[in-house]
Amino acid sequence: MKRKWRFSLSQVFLVLLLFFITLTMLVPLLNILAKSLSSPLKSISMGGLTIFPQDLDLLNYRIVFSHPILVPSLINSIIITLVGTVVNIGLTTTAAYALTRPNLALKRPLMVFLIIMMLFDPGLVPEYLVVQKLGLMGSKWSVILVTAVNVYYLIIMMRYFEKVPQSIVEAATIDGASHLQMLLRIFYPLTKAGVATITMFYAVVRWNEYFRAGIYLTRRSTDTVLQVVLRQFVVLGDTVSILGQQNVFDYNALARADYSALKGATIIVAIIPILILYPFVLRFYAKDVLGGGIKE
Amino acid sequence: MQKKSLFKRIKEERVLYFLLLPTIVFFILFRVLPILNMRLSFYQFRARGSWPFVGFKYFEMIFSSPAFAQILTNTLIISFMKYVLLFPFFVLFALMLNEVRSFRFRKYVQVISYLPHFLSWVVIAGIWINSLSLAGSVNQIITFFGGDAVDFMTDRSKIRWILMICEAWRSLGWDSIIFYTAIIAISPTLYEAAQIDGAGRMQIIRSIILPALVTPMITMFILNLGFFLNAGFDQVFNFSNQAVESTIDILDTYIYRIGIEGGQYSLATAVSLIKGLVGVVLVWGTHVFSKKMTGSGVW
Repeated sequence: MKRKWRFSLSQVFLVLLLFFITLTMLVPLLNILAKSLSSPLKSISMGGLTIFPQDLDLLNYRIVFSHPILVPSLINSIIITLVGTVVNIGLTTTAAYALTRPNLALKRPLMVFLIIMMLFDPGLVPEYLVVQKLGLMGSKWSVILVTAVNVYYLIIMMRYFEKVPQSIVEAATIDGASHLQMLLRIFYPLTKAGVATITMFYAVVRWNEYFRAGIYLTRRSTDTVLQVVLRQFVVLGDTVSILGQQNVFDYNALARADYSALKGATIIVAIIPILILYPFVLRFYAKDVLGGGIKE
Repeated sequence: MQKKSLFKRIKEERVLYFLLLPTIVFFILFRVLPILNMRLSFYQFRARGSWPFVGFKYFEMIFSSPAFAQILTNTLIISFMKYVLLFPFFVLFALMLNEVRSFRFRKYVQVISYLPHFLSWVVIAGIWINSLSLAGSVNQIITFFGGDAVDFMTDRSKIRWILMICEAWRSLGWDSIIFYTAIIAISPTLYEAAQIDGAGRMQIIRSIILPALVTPMITMFILNLGFFLNAGFDQVFNFSNQAVESTIDILDTYIYRIGIEGGQYSLATAVSLIKGLVGVVLVWGTHVFSKKMTGSGVW
């Protein structure tokens, strides 16, 4: 009896410790959400540990979704994420398919080339000059194309494609399937989980991209993406250029501004797509990990 | 049997090359061309006309500048804190997770602790700036216990620790997956045998679980060594401000500042070249070392 009690005590301690760790992740997010949903009159005096909104008010979101810079940047983010992910997956899967065909000539030198490309980072300025020379400055294609293929993800994709049984490939070849048919009708369906995982990861990276967009999409203030505006507003604390001189005044006058709540609303808007993708990421990627505990 | 010529083999499989073409064009445009542009380290940049050759001028500037020494030191210290000091906690987190008996609680911890890994660094910085501000939750707790509020983000003596703790906050769950999967892959018969021998939990951890973690530990550790000159650019870039810049300025933020903001293209490229070459040596070295130690390389 005594032993069992001691054991449970350590369980309680363990659970409390882990619960505290998850609270450090949950509370700040819920706090930001609560503040952003509260009336600015209330949110300004809300502490950092409050997780329930007071005087529910969507003012902050109305400002975000009617903002002359935030709205176009949100649309740009969506376009770049969608088109960019399609480009990512298109290039990654076709390349992975070609590179896993056993009869591909020059396979080894091509792989060595890819590994070198992965290892050696040419750095910011040399890339910047190329983007400039190609005339991509200010165009969404700059951001989309510069990160078109990630070698890590390409190698993971190749691992999935290598698992497709050779017998199926041979049978399809005898039936006269072309490479493109083989990829679309056999490889995609058989490696669904793999393609979905890589798609998810590319999409997350695309949506979270801020650095290159901040360098290449600077022609007009409406060219940029949400994360860049968020950075200017939340990290650099630049309220004037985000809201505009007149709007700063209006917002102050109208709502007795609580900037931290408005920042919070922008953060929430930037997180929502990730939260939508997250269950799928977990389902495909961490299936083995999350399910692993069942066996006992 | 005569071997077919390379040209013939490529011609036969031209569809495969056609499928590879976009990817190869991508690498030539956005990797090979920038690599060729790195010759700029030995030339003076001019927007028009040819670049005059200046030899090692920029490298001499770099190695004689006290700023560079400080930046290199910062980079190494921050990397050490993130990749060495923090390292045991990822193993510990996996061990603790495995000790939790309730499957549902275990799953809850996983779902929550993996999430920060998927948030952008801008969002993470936003959350942390909010929590660490004078009116934020951390100071609320400090003042509740009678302490004085601290302006963490502008405190030069604390900012590196903040970077490290934030890195833990973001990666504790995700980076411990490799250890957790190694633990749950241990055969149940080993546990049963240990229980029959009357081993306690601590003994099981010491003599069954930890030995199973040696290989992933070595792999992760040397993988981290390969990233030592990076030190996590995105985090520093978003956590930096005037007050603390001198203590957390790292190679990549320096390259950004002198290159993109300062327009000193040649100097920035020279720093990139040094960093790139050392980086290749580090990653290649750790790959070879890892293959020797564990039988599996970095890729």
